[in-house]
Amino acid sequence: MLQYSIRRLLYIIPVLLGVCFIVFFLFNVVATDPAAQQLGKHATASSIVELRKELGLDRSYFVQYLDIVKSAFTFDFGRSWSSHQKISDILMNKAGASLSLTIPAFIISMFLGISLSLFVAFYRGRLIDYATMLICIAMMSISYLVYIIVFQYVLAYEWGLFEVSGYESGFPAFIPYVALPILISVVTSLGPDIRFFRTIMLDEIYQDYVRTARAKGLSEKVILFKHVLRNALVPIITYIIIQLPFLILGALLLESFFDIPGLGGELLRALNSSDFPVIKAFTVLTAIAYMVFSLVTDIFYALADPRIKLQ
Amino acid sequence: MEKEYSLWADAFRRLAKNKIALVSLVIVIVYAAIALLVTFGLLADDWAQEVGPANVAPAADYLLGTDFLGRDVLKKVIYGTQVAMTVGFFSCAIAIPIGVTLGAIAGYFGGIVDDAIVWFYTTFASIPYLMMIIAIAYVMERGLKTMCIVLGVTSWVGLCRLVRGEVIKHRNRDYVQAVTALGGGHSKKIFTHILPNVFHLVIINASLRFQSAIKSEVILSYLGLGVQNVPSWGKMIDDAKQDLMQDRWWQLVGASFAMFLIVLALNILGDALRDALDPKLKGQES
Amino acid sequence: MSKNLLDVKNLTVEFHTGEGITRAVDNVSFTIAEGETVGLVGESGSGKSVTSLAVMGLIPNPPGKITQGEILFEGKDIVTASDSEMRALRGNDISMIFQEPMTALNPLFKVGAQICESIMLHQKVGKKEAWNKALELMHQVGIPNPKNRAHSYPHELSGGQKQRICIAMAIACSPKLLICDEPTTALDVTIQKQVLELIENLQKVHRMGVLFITHDLGVIGDIADDVLVLYKSKLVEHDNVKKIFTNATHPYTKGLLSCRPGIKHNPRRLLTVSDYVDADGNEKVVPAAALEPYEKSFEFTDAKNPVLLEINNLKTYYPIKAGFFRKTIAHVKAVDDVSFNIRRGTTYGLVGESGCGKTTLGRSILRLVEPTEGQVLYDGIDVTSLNSTDLRNLRSKMQIIFQDPYSSLNPRMTISQILTEPMEIHNIGESKKERLELAKSLVSRVDLEQNHLARYPHQFSGGQRQRIAIARALAVNPEFIICDESVSALDVSVQAQVLNLLQDLQEERNLTYIFISHDLSVVNYISDYVGVMFQGKLVEHGTAKEVYTNPRMAYTKNLLEAIPKGIPKTV
Repeated sequence: MLQYSIRRLLYIIPVLLGVCFIVFFLFNVVATDPAAQQLGKHATASSIVELRKELGLDRSYFVQYLDIVKSAFTFDFGRSWSSHQKISDILMNKAGASLSLTIPAFIISMFLGISLSLFVAFYRGRLIDYATMLICIAMMSISYLVYIIVFQYVLAYEWGLFEVSGYESGFPAFIPYVALPILISVVTSLGPDIRFFRTIMLDEIYQDYVRTARAKGLSEKVILFKHVLRNALVPIITYIIIQLPFLILGALLLESFFDIPGLGGELLRALNSSDFPVIKAFTVLTAIAYMVFSLVTDIFYALADPRIKLQ
Repeated sequence: MEKEYSLWADAFRRLAKNKIALVSLVIVIVYAAIALLVTFGLLADDWAQEVGPANVAPAADYLLGTDFLGRDVLKKVIYGTQVAMTVGFFSCAIAIPIGVTLGAIAGYFGGIVDDAIVWFYTTFASIPYLMMIIAIAYVMERGLKTMCIVLGVTSWVGLCRLVRGEVIKHRNRDYVQAVTALGGGHSKKIFTHILPNVFHLVIINASLRFQSAIKSEVILSYLGLGVQNVPSWGKMIDDAKQDLMQDRWWQLVGASFAMFLIVLALNILGDALRDALDPKLKGQES
Repeated sequence: MSKNLLDVKNLTVEFHTGEGITRAVDNVSFTIAEGETVGLVGESGSGKSVTSLAVMGLIPNPPGKITQGEILFEGKDIVTASDSEMRALRGNDISMIFQEPMTALNPLFKVGAQICESIMLHQKVGKKEAWNKALELMHQVGIPNPKNRAHSYPHELSGGQKQRICIAMAIACSPKLLICDEPTTALDVTIQKQVLELIENLQKVHRMGVLFITHDLGVIGDIADDVLVLYKSKLVEHDNVKKIFTNATHPYTKGLLSCRPGIKHNPRRLLTVSDYVDADGNEKVVPAAALEPYEKSFEFTDAKNPVLLEINNLKTYYPIKAGFFRKTIAHVKAVDDVSFNIRRGTTYGLVGESGCGKTTLGRSILRLVEPTEGQVLYDGIDVTSLNSTDLRNLRSKMQIIFQDPYSSLNPRMTISQILTEPMEIHNIGESKKERLELAKSLVSRVDLEQNHLARYPHQFSGGQRQRIAIARALAVNPEFIICDESVSALDVSVQAQVLNLLQDLQEERNLTYIFISHDLSVVNYISDYVGVMFQGKLVEHGTAKEVYTNPRMAYTKNLLEAIPKGIPKTV
């Protein structure tokens, strides 16, 4: 197990080199010259050369690539081009607001998703199951953006149930501001979650061991909550863990719509102002988080399922 | 006398029994037809024309009202259909060949080829989907072409993983072993034996990929990375932020509903295809 | 006899699906008394499992439904019982053991806890008491060192041990009726013997009524008092086991009894159910000559039967990798230094229990699996050193027929595509038309109809699919065929038909077979030479007569003794 973990941890290195290469390729090779872009139409050739030098763009591609690799391994991504703040500081400052929104949303939707899918799995094949699944598909067919616009307009603007936008830091001051974004986030994730969890549970329900449990005289409820749930939780929790790194990115659209000063908003700002170092930092960091969490997933899998031996 | 029928015909028979799926199929075909007509300039070609006063609510003359420039919203919705279907179609047309080819090669040959391809898609998968879209869309010229490419190259990973897994499973099945024993080569095994048995997954996957591309168009439009100078559902929904404040709901409803219908149809079709094509269910029946 | 425990009257079960209604059990009646073992025999799809599920109240509804009849357990009708009444019975008064011990246990719970579950449920005792009871049960079913084993997860136990755990679970609450649904089918013959003995002993101790379902008449003979024979959902014969074996009345039962090859004498050709029953279900007269035992000759000369295949010190090892650098620390010796010769026109039977390496050996000979070391000389050519082009050319001479007819045919190709493809590969036949003609003659040869050519594999039964697989192997005119458990997945009467076909083809074409099977009776019937494999090694080989009448190794003797005799015990 330990050996496996170390090997998997080392596997992050080649993948990270690949990620760095993609980032390098997109921003240092394909992208239009950021120097020219920053200086605008009236820039002189000499000022562009100067800025290129300042930004380190005059060096060879190989050196520029190594630069990105170095920052990925040292977590030092330099400074923002627009605010000239250290990127690590920016991230630290903004993370709190993002997490105050995404973590509760995540926990609530998982809890609801698992309970509701257990419910429909219990009534599988009946009207309530079909109706729920149809509602789930219908909910999935509406654009995320429509949810945000309509909920914000109706629930906050028209009815005044929530704050329309804004943020205050510190608990519990932030709660009124994040309540509506959390609601939207939960509503939009319920459809796919319930469908996915239900499929997993139904897969389990048709297994032979469930028949054995019935032959023992156990009730459907005990079978579902004890035998089926325990087996279904393994893939479900795996699915949950692998989503965690994306929480870090924050709910990009929600943050911008509700003016929550989080990471998502920062990313959008960086995009609009061509702040390459910030975009690169986000990309590399989320990739690292993804890899770490997928390692955690594998380890969890092995711990939860005695059949799996990691090698 | 029992007639001969292939698994495909068999699947189609089941699909035909599912009325909702058939309706969904009709919806998809209608949307595709509209998109083609728009492409050839036969429909909604004059969407940019001012047809009446600005911001008129839906009425007999303008079924979906007009926008702030007095343009017909219905025509914009129709034109948007073309954008949506194009994005859906070309993102599939890019993702599927990449995903199937790499997945099949990795799964069939295994070893170091497999390692390399797995590394390649792990790298892609590690970068969050939205980041990747933003990054690529950012460095390329904004517009329809970019959007198709972006959605295509970011969505092959799932399919590749799926195909690879299936190919590994089939590679060791007896019927493929039998081809080896009969002296068949690699290409025979891959193309005439394994891929036809994996292809149904590609179709199911395509219907889901198609709808997710249509949904992504909205997000990209909001981020300002979508189509330029022509209407799309995403841009119309994005515009609705301001519209709603003035109680102008028709752009939002028009575009959302047009999108809802096709995405719902594709979702239902995807499910129905899964039920009809997945041989796993076949086993349960007998 | 004592009072009736179970009384099934006119039971009819139907399945309503989109495709129509199928009657899985049709008007079946029988009784089981306390302490009595009733065997329920029939082929797959005959309705035997559905009958047992009906008694358990576990018919999946929808689509299944009991449309008629009653099932009285101790005088009370189960069909009309409520859910909670049924649950109180299940696992308590009536319990069941299933066929597949590999999947019957929940993989995430310790086996001890799984036994405890039914004890705690039905006997209302505490956890500790239940655990102690579970340990006692594990001891009773012959699990060594229950204290430790109770903490194991199912995957840590062997198939036989898992089935013992299932049995412990089933008898935990001292049921009055035990239903065994093919409990030994998935097990090796020696393990089967142990499990059968265990069930028999437990039945005596607990005075249980037992409903024993199997497709294997041999097993029934060993264990049952009364036998029920189901055929096409109907009960065709119900009698004392002795009478069934000596004096069966229904032609189907007679066919079933004679289609199974025995360990001693067999007729020249195996009789099948279709020799006894014609297409309309009427009885046919079987000529006495067809039943006469046939003495095989084991005299082979180099002139008539020269050595075709010579296997010298063949080894197929799989590395076990471990440690940080994935170094190979040991090998699984799937095939370990095996040598033998096969004469042209003869059949070499390869027997052994699951995991002994017989399948790997077969595949290594054909280089479907690359052997690690050793030589395979086919007609003097070393197969192991051929390059890929030469190997592909040689493949037309060496063919294989697999075990599972469901996975060995490409589901998306028609039969004619399946049959003509190998001809295309080896340039047999001048044109498409000629190849199609060849395919036609092939399907006729394996007793299928020519209009079957346009169909797809899923439109055929298991036996028909296996015929198609045989036709595909014959398409390249091979001289040598490996039959890898080729009849194991088939019902006994279909098995007999396929065995007859293989025999006929051998005579017609002077084919050479390696016949791999775990079934010693079948191997005895079809083989001229027999090799016994154990842990990758060929531990014994000789002519079939030598090995079966005079085994040298203790392992072989054990195997032979474990075969169900098919002779009824005295009642």
